[in-house]
Amino acid sequence: MDKLLDTVLQMLEGSQITLEIFCVTLVLALPLGMLVALGRLSPVRPLSRLLELYIWLMRGTPLMLQLLFVYFALPMVGIRLPDIVAALLAFTLNYAAYFAEIFRAGISSVPKGQYEAAKTLGMSYPLTMRRIIFPQVFRIVLPPVSNETINLVKDTSLVYILAMNDLLRVARTIVQREFDMTPFFIAAVFYLVMTAALTWGFKKLEAHYGKY
Amino acid sequence: MANTENELMLRMHGIKKAFGDNEVLKGIDLTVACGEVLAIIGPSGSGKSTLLRCINRLEEIDGGSIEIEGEFLAVTNEAGEAEYVGAKKSRELLSRMGMVFQQFNLFPHMTVLENLLEAPIHVKGLKREEVLPVAQELLAKVGLTGRENSYPSELSGGQQQRVAIARALAMKPDIMLFDEPTSALDPELTGEVLKTMKELAAERMTMVVVTHEMAFAREAASHVIFMEGGHIVEQGEPQAFFTNPREERTRAFLQNML
Ligand SMILES: Nc1ncnc2c1ncn2[C@@H]1O[C@H](COP(=O)(O)OP(=O)(O)OP(=O)(O)O)[C@@H](O)[C@H]1O
Ligand SMILES: [Mg+2]
Repeated sequence: MDKLLDTVLQMLEGSQITLEIFCVTLVLALPLGMLVALGRLSPVRPLSRLLELYIWLMRGTPLMLQLLFVYFALPMVGIRLPDIVAALLAFTLNYAAYFAEIFRAGISSVPKGQYEAAKTLGMSYPLTMRRIIFPQVFRIVLPPVSNETINLVKDTSLVYILAMNDLLRVARTIVQREFDMTPFFIAAVFYLVMTAALTWGFKKLEAHYGKY
Repeated sequence: MANTENELMLRMHGIKKAFGDNEVLKGIDLTVACGEVLAIIGPSGSGKSTLLRCINRLEEIDGGSIEIEGEFLAVTNEAGEAEYVGAKKSRELLSRMGMVFQQFNLFPHMTVLENLLEAPIHVKGLKREEVLPVAQELLAKVGLTGRENSYPSELSGGQQQRVAIARALAMKPDIMLFDEPTSALDPELTGEVLKTMKELAAERMTMVVVTHEMAFAREAASHVIFMEGGHIVEQGEPQAFFTNPREERTRAFLQNML
């Protein structure tokens, strides 16, 4: 029993890295994704094209490769980042690209008539975006954002290859040392609980904003 | 309304507008006096919507001038290009106009009441308590008392369009622009919207109405314009216009509409 408790405690420590990567990535990538989406939609061609390239790179290559790149390639050109910062950088850049595409699709799906109605009522562009467009976009993007968020929970395990002691790595270390599979089950439960909680939370949000 | 009957509300002169090399308006002149209802009719693609949208700057003209209550919104310079007044003046002039769209364009995430309150509160900066009675009164006027807390999706098309009219009126415009307000409605629902518009006309609201409803144009309009191919083909008082059109093309069009 003591052994199990000890295992759980070690794994809880590992889960902190996992949670940290999850939370920080989300907090940074969501607003960054929105900015990128607005830039993609802006009439300034060079900006829009540049961001298109960025999105293409981020979505067209594996996150694993991007992690390795930030982790190994940046130091070669003299940029040294602490492990966790390198991981967060890669995750944020990657997820911002996915969120940007979701937001762009969401913003584009609001009919032109909404902008025109707002304009004829004297609403400025920022006011229109804030009061009319974003609330509608929010509802449209909830399901895909929910999907990506749940993917992120599982993607955090990729930092495993950076020798960071996240939940999965801790689990494997114990399994190798003790010849006991329990840590894998505990890890599975942890991921399941987290995705279940997120699924439930997003369902609530969707129900709340689905009233119209 | 402070303006006297024959005071000019809107004057457009030599309006030209092209999309790429598609010349849509080829020099349109029109005037609308205070309290007048101008009906614009014509076949599809003749430029009716474009003309209407030029009035409130949803489209910008390439040439000509637009004058609202004696003040210029746009003029043509010596080089022959249309020039708009400064942003502040433009905003002020445009705030005197309200618009009703074919597709209603209500804000779907807001209740009926919120749709009406949105602009008075967030654009004019009025207090909710000040606007609330106005909004209630407008809803009563369009026959939708009791639907304050409904979402647009819970209303019929006719009800939605009446909310859209009330929403535009909540900003207390001097001119109301309508772009085929009943074209998206089932025939049995057009009547209620046209009734609301006739009541507005009876209150001497100045209106410019693009419509396919000839009966409405005949009954409610003070002046009718028939457009085709970016030109005004014929215009006049509805009585004369409908009973005895001069132009062959007008006759053909009217025959088709019946
Ligand atoms: N935003 C736009 N970009 C390019 N072309 C346009 C645009 N809006 C209108 N047009 C073109 O201008 C012409 C006139 O269109 P408009 O919508 O003013 O006609 P309309 O008389 O309102 O027709 P309808 O009765 O079908 O509404 C059409 O050939 C149309 O394709
Ligand atoms: Mg039209």
